[in-house]
Amino acid sequence: MEQLIGHYRVTGKIGEGGMGVVYRAHDEVLNRDVALKVLADTPLIESLGKDHLLHEARAGSALNHPNICTVYEVIDDEGTLYIAMELIEGKSLTALIGQTGLPVESVLRYGVQIAAALAHAHGRRVVHHDLKSANVVVTPDGLVKVLDFGLARRIPAEASADQTMTFRTPGSPGEVSGTLFYMPPEILRGEPGDARSDLWALGVVLYEAASGELPFRGKTAFEISSAILNEMPPPLPSRIPPGLWAIIQRSLAKQPSERYQQASEVKAALEAVESASITGAQPASQPTAYRTTVSRGTRQLRINNGDVLLMVGTTKGAFLLRSTSKRSRWEVAGPYFHGHGVYAMAYDDREGRHRLWASTSNYWGTFLRSSDDFGRTWTNPIEANVKFPVDCGTSLSNIWQILVGNQDGQVMYCGVEPAALFESRDSGGTWSLVRSLFDHPHRPRWTPGNGGLALHTILQDPVNPQRIYIAISAGGVYRSDDGGSTWNARNRGIRVVYQPEKYPEFGQCVHKIVLHRDRPERLFLQNHWGLYRSDDAGDNWQDIAGGVPSDFGFAMAMHPHDPDCVYVLPVESDEFRCTPDGRLRVFRTRNAGGSWEALSRGLPQKGAYETVLRDGMTVDTLQPAGVYFGTRSGQVFGSSDEGKTWKSVISGLPSIVCVKAVVIGEPRAARSESRRTRRPVRAKKKRAARGR
Amino acid sequence: MAIAFQVSAALRPFAGGRDRVEIGGSPSTVADALEALWILCPGLRDRILTEEGQIREHVNLFVGQENVRYTGGLATPIQAGTEISVFHAVSGG
Repeated sequence: MEQLIGHYRVTGKIGEGGMGVVYRAHDEVLNRDVALKVLADTPLIESLGKDHLLHEARAGSALNHPNICTVYEVIDDEGTLYIAMELIEGKSLTALIGQTGLPVESVLRYGVQIAAALAHAHGRRVVHHDLKSANVVVTPDGLVKVLDFGLARRIPAEASADQTMTFRTPGSPGEVSGTLFYMPPEILRGEPGDARSDLWALGVVLYEAASGELPFRGKTAFEISSAILNEMPPPLPSRIPPGLWAIIQRSLAKQPSERYQQASEVKAALEAVESASITGAQPASQPTAYRTTVSRGTRQLRINNGDVLLMVGTTKGAFLLRSTSKRSRWEVAGPYFHGHGVYAMAYDDREGRHRLWASTSNYWGTFLRSSDDFGRTWTNPIEANVKFPVDCGTSLSNIWQILVGNQDGQVMYCGVEPAALFESRDSGGTWSLVRSLFDHPHRPRWTPGNGGLALHTILQDPVNPQRIYIAISAGGVYRSDDGGSTWNARNRGIRVVYQPEKYPEFGQCVHKIVLHRDRPERLFLQNHWGLYRSDDAGDNWQDIAGGVPSDFGFAMAMHPHDPDCVYVLPVESDEFRCTPDGRLRVFRTRNAGGSWEALSRGLPQKGAYETVLRDGMTVDTLQPAGVYFGTRSGQVFGSSDEGKTWKSVISGLPSIVCVKAVVIGEPRAARSESRRTRRPVRAKKKRAARGR
Repeated sequence: MAIAFQVSAALRPFAGGRDRVEIGGSPSTVADALEALWILCPGLRDRILTEEGQIREHVNLFVGQENVRYTGGLATPIQAGTEISVFHAVSGG
């Protein structure tokens, strides 16, 4: 075995990595043992290895830090490259972690040292790009050494694909480097990585060290990639302090901008948790702050495919109601989020999910919560997931709307108070403010209505997802035709009654807008006084209020299968926001506003001074369609025959602010197709045209 | 003596299940103490302060018996052994 390479005498083999074999050797000149890495003899490495190894050596030799394996020199021996580096006696972090993970103290101690190594390298514009537990060695006295800056490149990097090929992952445009389990979303998306990619990998290593498990798992490269891109890491065991869990979660934010921006920040945070102590009179009772099981006697639902689920948000919590497709009897679960206002709820069934969303708001702030098990457990984020950047000079009051995007499997939107739009491109994992709307020159002149200055309605064109509508009370309707990059007011023809100018460009107090997926260029609008329709995507609006007892109202719902059919629930006036004459009546048009009919069979017609708020009415997608509404007095009424007859679904709830209906297990595309099959839309349109 | 935070029940899931959190170092103001608290219990930050760094409208911090709204807000001085209590205000409907 003893072979002389330059002034190194090889004494044994240590191991093999992806790019090279590492030998133990003795430096005959300086009389010290070293590790000698030699290029392995494979076709791939023959094509890539020499440059790569040279690069490794150059990157590594620029770094001199106690937590980084020192590179001594590079030897080119007749075309074969060798790297002489510090010989480290110890165990890999992978081996130390084992099946159950390390004690918290060790996770913190090693984590601080890895972060220190990265901070040093990043400070010299070197990114590791292949950080993983196998690349971290811990010496018997607890010193951490980060090995193998073998994929490192300088920042800014020349995008050099041939430098980073190791294996292919589905869904990425090219080939990506490193070990997939540690790979950040941006690399999987084919974007260039930077120092924050190393911080993601550090988050994976910390998670692994804390639990013995990897945060993103799967049997195939596709499953792993999908988990990295879409899923949140499972909660860590209860022994992990919330401070460490928070550091890991922040490191594993899908968007690099949401992570720590520098390794030194991670180091400081780990040190703070390391040096701090929590003392308490009571033992920890909650396993983790990240996901909490809803308890306190809350009844849970068992949901079957084909069931109708009503999500009811109130000023004091949320309720879930389940029925079969007959919709004759309803099973109730809740309240969830005791005492929290739940102004927005949504259901995401894309990509096989069954995810409920709710916004919760109370003394302690406003948060988006989700449940993948129909309410048995809900996420409880450590940090507010929707919040204004510090430079905005404002703070979130409430989340009024959650929209699950209708095309891409990842996009979601939130409408909030004060009026602003937030967007998520990772199924609600991370959210960012839509700056183009926040910076709109009209914004300083939007004025709050009685309920505050809220962006309460978001519609995405089902055919052209780049077209998005939002409605603000009081700001009016705005439309984007470029996916939210630019916004234009779309309020021509909508009258205001509370200022001298009756038809301003913007400033209308719009209460609700709706559209139908089969005719998305047509919109209906319930204004603060006024019912309107637009046939040209909001460019112009015409009054369609003839035939309703009052054109003041909040709620509006679109029939799921008929683009000419809309439901409204008028209230008497601005001053007396209750149903006229104490009669609870829904009004329906089946000819796009040409005429309206009262629907009252089964609804109280005496002494019923009710108010239904802007998100208080909804429809399901069954045939015949179900229509539902919830009142401020805590009653839910439902119709399973498109509004002909009504029944009380439940009463005695807190004041209802939103009602959403969904049919479980009916894929969106299938729903759309079935609608077209069930109802000849074109014939219906002609009828409507004749009617007008 | 350490500085301690006493947190109300609703916040305990974000304080490791405890109602009392002691912090290290020697912070001289409530703001400094909160910074140390966030490191230990990061889930408390967004529940006590707004994005603008102000105490939430319906949250009250007491240094000893005094509501900090009347003693200088986040700049209220503290010393070793101070106990800071976090409550929600009497409000709602």
